[in-house]
Amino acid sequence: MNTQVNIKTGRQRFSANVLTLLVGVVAVLVLGNPSVQAQTAGASTVDSSVTIATTGTVTEGTTTVNVNGSVTIKCRRVIDNTSTTLTPLVLLDFDFSQLQGTTGSGKTLVTYVTGDNHATAIRPFQASDTIVVTIPYFDSTKDALSANTFLATAALNFDSSTGKLTSGTLTYGTNVFKSSGVGTFPVN
Amino acid sequence: MSDRNFFLSPKASKARLREAENARKNRWEIISAHSHGQVTRRDLIKMGLFTGAGLMIPISGLSPFARSAFADSNIPTGLPPSPLFGVQAFSTPMPRFDVLPRQPVSVLTPAPTAQANTTQQPVDPALGGGTGPIEGRPPGPIWAHQQFSQLPPVIAIQATMEGAKTNNVYNPTVPSLQNSGINPATPIPYKFHPGLPVQNVLKDWTYNGTIPPKLMLVRYGEPVLFRLRNKLPVNQSQNGGFGIHTISTHEHNGHHGAENDGFTGAFFFPNQFYDYHYPVVLAGRNTINTTATDNRASGPTDAGGLNKIPGDWHETMSTHWFHDHMFSFTAQNVYKGMAGMFNIYSGLDRGAEDIVDGVNLRLPSGRASVSGKSWGNLDYDVNLMLADKAWDVNGQLAMDIFEFDGFLGDQMTVNLIYKPFMEVERRKYRFRILNASVSRFFKIALSDGSPMIQIANDGNLFPHPVTLTQLDEQGIAERYDIVIDFSRYSVGQKIWMVNLAEHQDGKRVDKDLSISEALSGNSPDPCVGKFLEFRIARNPAQPDISQVPSTMIPNPDLSNIPVARERVFEFNRGANQTTNDPVSSFFGPWGIETDNQRGTLAADFGRISAAPRFGTREIWTLKNGGGGWDHPIHIHFEECQTLARDGSAANVPAWERGRKDVWRLRPGGEVKITLQFRDFGGMFMEHCHNTMHEDNAMLLRWEIDDGGAPFLRPLPTPIPKPQGVTFVPPTEILPTAF
Repeated sequence: MNTQVNIKTGRQRFSANVLTLLVGVVAVLVLGNPSVQAQTAGASTVDSSVTIATTGTVTEGTTTVNVNGSVTIKCRRVIDNTSTTLTPLVLLDFDFSQLQGTTGSGKTLVTYVTGDNHATAIRPFQASDTIVVTIPYFDSTKDALSANTFLATAALNFDSSTGKLTSGTLTYGTNVFKSSGVGTFPVN
Repeated sequence: MSDRNFFLSPKASKARLREAENARKNRWEIISAHSHGQVTRRDLIKMGLFTGAGLMIPISGLSPFARSAFADSNIPTGLPPSPLFGVQAFSTPMPRFDVLPRQPVSVLTPAPTAQANTTQQPVDPALGGGTGPIEGRPPGPIWAHQQFSQLPPVIAIQATMEGAKTNNVYNPTVPSLQNSGINPATPIPYKFHPGLPVQNVLKDWTYNGTIPPKLMLVRYGEPVLFRLRNKLPVNQSQNGGFGIHTISTHEHNGHHGAENDGFTGAFFFPNQFYDYHYPVVLAGRNTINTTATDNRASGPTDAGGLNKIPGDWHETMSTHWFHDHMFSFTAQNVYKGMAGMFNIYSGLDRGAEDIVDGVNLRLPSGRASVSGKSWGNLDYDVNLMLADKAWDVNGQLAMDIFEFDGFLGDQMTVNLIYKPFMEVERRKYRFRILNASVSRFFKIALSDGSPMIQIANDGNLFPHPVTLTQLDEQGIAERYDIVIDFSRYSVGQKIWMVNLAEHQDGKRVDKDLSISEALSGNSPDPCVGKFLEFRIARNPAQPDISQVPSTMIPNPDLSNIPVARERVFEFNRGANQTTNDPVSSFFGPWGIETDNQRGTLAADFGRISAAPRFGTREIWTLKNGGGGWDHPIHIHFEECQTLARDGSAANVPAWERGRKDVWRLRPGGEVKITLQFRDFGGMFMEHCHNTMHEDNAMLLRWEIDDGGAPFLRPLPTPIPKPQGVTFVPPTEILPTAF
């Protein structure tokens, strides 16, 4: 499957960087919400969600930010009953709004928030999938224009028979795209 | 590589590419014959080339999805890739939009009239001869400009619709420095890149016949008369193989009378004009703030002050676009180039970041004190029109009108230029991003994963800005306004806007990629990855004083407005054709079921599917019955609020909690919205904005017809002809319409 190829390629592309830049992480499946099954003339849908308690650290220059908080991932698997060629898919919604970051302590304590951040993705349904997104974070006393970013790698597991999202892990690390995604040009 | 991709890879074998090109040529003959009216779709079904549902039968040498003779048994032929003639991405600057001149109404000859001008003129024999009216607007009081005497036009904007030609009067309204060094005095030939061929006059039809795409600048409280003259060939066969010479322009999503809405059945012919009266008013003008005392309900004056107007300031809009809406030809005509953008300025959204009066939100735009313009500064306020295109071996625009699932191009354009670059300063910019594709969805990120601040959806500023590192998918016709702060970069650095949404065909997005996946070059979709390069060229000459306030425009309060009724619309495949009017009805694989009655119906602009009562509020549920497909559904006339997705308000994301006029239903999904019907009347539309679906035949008519004279209940249907518009009774009125 093309999906596998792309994911592997993508992971290899920054895996070396991630190894040196990432510090850590965690991810524990806390609970899975009841699923909803719906049937319309054209589609069968199954809804599920997991909430993951996470913690980790992200290094940005000389600053290390401690990240923690729960992330809720909503999932809807859709099977098209009108087509034999369309593969089942999942609609994913990552709710990062409960994540917080901190640096320092006491009078030097700085708290960072993600600004109600969500990320969405459509993916072909498969037993497991890895999705990489960046997450904005900014000093809670300032506005979002000052936002920095870190990387989140979500490894998700699905039940192939029920279509439900069953578990997942989230790994946080430095946003490697800040170097690989920026080029230079000669200025006149 | 996937086995069902719309376009072949340029690396495919020569045999496969030759096979695909032959298939395209074979299909092209059918497309041309169909567009010239030489064969009907029914003829094609009889010939065994199409199914009753309108799908092309996979015949080798014809369909792109027939099995290839040169590959494994399940691999389709595919479409040949568009040649690039050696052109490299990011090698030419992105032109800013071409601003249409604003003139006094007195320049218009003949002067505009409330009712259509029916002065007779000779009609070309190719159009049937005889005489016909000079204006194509339906005649009489029902199609007269509503509130024309109360809101007389002050500004005239004129344009022609004509074939591709060189632009000798480019008017970006920004200095060359703010336009990536483009000298506006240099003629601009109609090319998708300087290294690509000049487009044939019959292949590309657009406003004034030129690129860059056109932009109208308007402000609240200053009514505009847009006169569009149809200069297209009188001979229907002179269309370059697709598109039609009858047109109707929709100002998406203006709050005005239906006579100005570009109704799909109010089209006009070559050598006619149509006067669109855009009063540019706030919704609720007849019931809210009627004495115009609220500073926030206002437009900007030339002196930097406020022109207070009636209406609800919470209904202020900012980013619109305009495009053709010809019945069953919207996809072809818009793809040919009939699309522009429409910025609306208000006291809140002034387009002048240095005016500090407690009302102006001071969003990134430019300084009035530098430009001398108290509103509408575009230095740091940039319109982006995204569209995927395809061209043939000669570099000429190509389209396959029989891809009823949805048509995809394989080359990304921004402002109709193939993968351009844009020079920016180290400061904040506002981008008004329009998805002007036929069927493609986008999902936008920056190549370094940096945040973007989304401030508006479908032209409506949010209650609060939303910080995102990847935007939600953006369906056809949706507008996302975002702010990017380039001060985080150094001069000499460059970053890219990246498309993460991978299609295999026009049905829906197959997969949203991560940035690394999108940049890997492994996607079989050639429109995935980088499509616009930002070059951080310099520091700003003056400090960036623009703002993105934490509170912008709260939603209108509807809590005291009772819900008059609810309706349900389900968007499906497999429509029934219950009417047969040769002008107003059209059969295709798509359709809409209304209120669970009469089944799924193919489009007929003579059928009334809903008729909300004037002055009321309703709740509408939009259901996707089309299985795993997606449909971006557009409702004309007034902005709506999203109440729920898939049955829950909690499922409405932050970027949809403002007002909207297009909703991606998502595969297997549904959306519940609420909307009001006030201020104006007439016949409007609701349709899928995957325009291949819209044209085949996922569109319905609804109307507000009980507001008193001159309206009748029900409204008669206009049937345009070059010799004059006639009216006929509705072909059908659904039982729950009234």
